[in-house]
Amino acid sequence: MTGEALPLPHRRPWTKLERGLLAMGLSGKALVIFAPALWLTVFFLVPLAVVFGISLSIKQFGRPPYSDLLTVGEDGTVQLTLHLSNFLRLFSDNLYVSAYLNSIKVAAISTVLALFIAYPMAYFIARSSDRWRNILLMLVILPFWTSFLLRVYALSGFMRGNGVINNLLGVFGIEPLVMLQTDFAVYVGIVYTYLPFMILPLYTTLVKLDASLLEASADLGARPLRTFLTITLPLSAPGIIAGSMLVFIPAIGEFVIPSLLGGPGTLMIGRVLWDEFFSNTNWPRAAAVAIAMLVVVVVPIMLMQRAQSAVVERR
Amino acid sequence: MAKKPQIAAETRPWRDPSAKPFVKIRDVTKKFGDVQAVNHVSLDIYKGELFCLLGGSGSGKSTLLRMLAGFEAPTAGTIEIDGQDMTGVAPYNRPVNMMFQSYALFPHMSVKQNIAYGLKRDHLPKAEIGDRVAELLSLVKLQDYGKRRPHQLSGGQRQRVALARALAKRPKLLLLDEPLGALDKKLREETQFELVKIQETLGVTFIVVTHDQEEAMSLATRIGVMNQGEIAMIGEPTEVYEFPNSRFVAGFIGSVNMFEGVVTEDEADHVRIRSAEAGCDIFVDHGVDCAPDQVLWYAIRPEKITLHRERPEGDANITRGMVEDIAYLGDMSVFQIMLGSGKRIRVTKANSLRGDPDGIKWDEEVYVQWNGGSGSVLTV
Repeated sequence: MTGEALPLPHRRPWTKLERGLLAMGLSGKALVIFAPALWLTVFFLVPLAVVFGISLSIKQFGRPPYSDLLTVGEDGTVQLTLHLSNFLRLFSDNLYVSAYLNSIKVAAISTVLALFIAYPMAYFIARSSDRWRNILLMLVILPFWTSFLLRVYALSGFMRGNGVINNLLGVFGIEPLVMLQTDFAVYVGIVYTYLPFMILPLYTTLVKLDASLLEASADLGARPLRTFLTITLPLSAPGIIAGSMLVFIPAIGEFVIPSLLGGPGTLMIGRVLWDEFFSNTNWPRAAAVAIAMLVVVVVPIMLMQRAQSAVVERR
Repeated sequence: MAKKPQIAAETRPWRDPSAKPFVKIRDVTKKFGDVQAVNHVSLDIYKGELFCLLGGSGSGKSTLLRMLAGFEAPTAGTIEIDGQDMTGVAPYNRPVNMMFQSYALFPHMSVKQNIAYGLKRDHLPKAEIGDRVAELLSLVKLQDYGKRRPHQLSGGQRQRVALARALAKRPKLLLLDEPLGALDKKLREETQFELVKIQETLGVTFIVVTHDQEEAMSLATRIGVMNQGEIAMIGEPTEVYEFPNSRFVAGFIGSVNMFEGVVTEDEADHVRIRSAEAGCDIFVDHGVDCAPDQVLWYAIRPEKITLHRERPEGDANITRGMVEDIAYLGDMSVFQIMLGSGKRIRVTKANSLRGDPDGIKWDEEVYVQWNGGSGSVLTV
């Protein structure tokens, strides 16, 4: 023994591989991130780029039904043709602008309605006993076990002219109401469908709320409503923001609900996109509508994320 | 940490039968389902007192406190605060404030906003709130921390914010749930003094719940020892320590050696008890309410026992044992002695000599002795 400490037997079978990868600049952390990054690239970024590319072409007959961005001339010149007409059209044609505005309006109103319905529900679930809490949460998630499409059809069955609700009203001699194919039906559909997405994040923040804070507030002289406004509501802000995002964003691009429940007057961007793509077979225009919608959705996401991180930082 | 003499001597309203109690708890019972958390408790607490409710977990002390604050309603019995029956009065209408064990500071508010919270609920003018908050911040020595949020404070600072917030509305009665529980030992000792000082300057009545008997002894004017939902004993710290009324109280507060024995002489001025456990007769130099041949217990504190190499004079309160273990704690040493009967007792001795060369060592045969007046005879 020379007095030198023996090196610990730290050789593992993959040590060699690890060293090799490190030499190439790949650490274990990078490898872990690699898989999802690859997935997102192949199935999200590349298709998005393709859609963006199509949005810069123009409609033509044939297959595919849009012009090529790159054309090779006779003398070997490569020509890149970018058509901005599709985007310009979005601003000049009233149809698109009002469809976007209407989508935002419908999504915003649905979000607010869902918040007002979900908050008391989430509050009640969070305040109930452990045993009941799980049952109630289960009930919130239960509708997901049935197909979304089926549920929307069922809703239309309820609201039809001779549907369940009107038949029930008929028993009391009330004239049938026109519910289907109105904005009302669209709101009912969106709020009903997305309610669980509002309830769950609200529940998670409310269930974490320390009951002693509410007691402290009462102890200092605040009545229950004051306690709710000054303690419960501000402390559940992260849940409100997350839930609102989860309802607002998919509601903007919603296609199935407005087309099944809404009337001809319910103009939403999802339907416009569908019509451009399938009825008019104008792929470039449809792609431009989709890209514009993405921008419309990304802006509120960024704003809300900023608001949320501000809330978290204040803790 | 004895009380200041002028306070100890003159202001002991509980010794004056004509004094009117500030808090009157009458036959209060609280049941959670089948569990009896508080069982027929009656208690009088006087103005300006610092009353400690002391008990282990599940003794009902916190439930009693929560009933005073109004968070729980008694199943039976009444609570009166300052002559007002509190039955059905909501927490936000009670002249009582509470300092929570977890402090319950509002995390989304600054220190100032936390302290001002109760004042705002009273709709005081802004300037007045500002003055009062500044006054409280200086009381708890946090003048420079007003703008911080609770998570930016240390444990001790949070504790002081919680105290300031609870004192903000000048409550007649302040309830403190384990006020020092979350602090480390050193900080706790400092804060203990400060708490007593603040209580004495403001003259507010404090009711403190704690499981820490040392905390109770050093803070309280009186202690109420709770056990299984009942009050086992109420008394001043010295009474509770020196004259416990039951084996539970004697064992719960401090450490104690307990000998079971039979009364052999029951006179007006002395009692003699034969104890096989002690291995000798126990002589008590005062009369005790008992009968000859009654089985009872004799409790004696470790610091009241002395160890000797030579047999001391006397025919009672002297027994033999062997030193089994010595724990050196710096200021004192704890001896564990195995008596002839097989019973182990604890004896403490102050280390008044530095590194005493003649001190009693391990495995030594020693005589154990105590005075006739230093133990308590317990019948329950």
